[in-house]
Amino acid sequence: MITKYFTKVLVRFNPFGAEAKTARLMLAAIPPHQRTLGTKIQSEILNNSITKKPLVKITFKDKTDMEFDPSNTSFEEASNLLDRHSRKLRIKETIENQ
Amino acid sequence: MSLSLLVSTRRVASARLPLSGVKSLTYSFPWTRSYAAVQQSSTDGSNNALKISRDKQKRVTVKPLTSRKTYLVDSYKSLMESNPLVVFVHYNNLLKREDHLFREKIKETGGTMTKLRNRLFQVYLKNSKQEDPCRPLSSKDKYKDHPLLPLFKGPTAAIAYSETTPANIAKLFKLLASAQDKLFILGAKVDNEAYSLQQLNTFKTLPSKDQLHAQLVSMLQVQGGLGLTQTLQQASQSLYLTLQSHHDNNNKPSQ
Repeated sequence: MITKYFTKVLVRFNPFGAEAKTARLMLAAIPPHQRTLGTKIQSEILNNSITKKPLVKITFKDKTDMEFDPSNTSFEEASNLLDRHSRKLRIKETIENQ
Repeated sequence: MSLSLLVSTRRVASARLPLSGVKSLTYSFPWTRSYAAVQQSSTDGSNNALKISRDKQKRVTVKPLTSRKTYLVDSYKSLMESNPLVVFVHYNNLLKREDHLFREKIKETGGTMTKLRNRLFQVYLKNSKQEDPCRPLSSKDKYKDHPLLPLFKGPTAAIAYSETTPANIAKLFKLLASAQDKLFILGAKVDNEAYSLQQLNTFKTLPSKDQLHAQLVSMLQVQGGLGLTQTLQQASQSLYLTLQSHHDNNNKPSQ
């Protein structure tokens, strides 16, 4: 997964639920040095009593938001979805640099 | 110079003496093979020798006996059974120094952190009702709906406490609040029960076990001063009285 263009990552999940796998893998996929580069990472843990829905929300450098429900998306599907936008940003960046 | 060296080597040799004595007394595990014992039984034929050969039956495991996987599953069993309070946390790509820092700070709260291998921990949980978790089992004998099973997806570590002291957990919460998303709590095992984060939050505010014991004793002492026997008798006495009144009521119409 290309995480270079993320500026904000919000992950909300119940660790006992079906969504835990995708949500936790998303958190683990972000390299440690990215925190020092200014990417904000937030995680919120839900209980059975809280009625909020599980959510992964990502803000890119060009301020586009992408969000999905981790309970019905696998990690691979999610990373494909996010990479599609990241690649666009990468192409734009290389053109600007030339 | 050479003399002093000689003396020092002698000293070392004398220091090693008791150790070498221990070495000769190697502990034999009940599952190790011993051909000597079997031979003895065939030649001796005595009951005692037969018993020994039965005790030393080979331990049957799914993975080889000396493999890392068998060792880890065994270590998870001892981790879970010798510690009444085990907190499970998610860790995110910790740098070496962060890892050291957290381990040190967790040690200060009285716990020890172990990073887990999820599949092997799940194997232990599924076989946790068995005496030997490494034994091959049919799928119907496995404890597949262990309440802790869903926690082992993604990087997971266990923080084990040898005592159920809520104050320690309160300290851990304080420590992990500073860690933010690098290390956070998912759930816990408290005295054979699975706790969610919310339950653990209420647990940390409780007084410790010793304090609760003291409270109970003091309460009983106060009651004892006023008449402990009376309070203990009250239940049976009231039952007797109600039964007696029923008996009287039943007898009235017949008279």
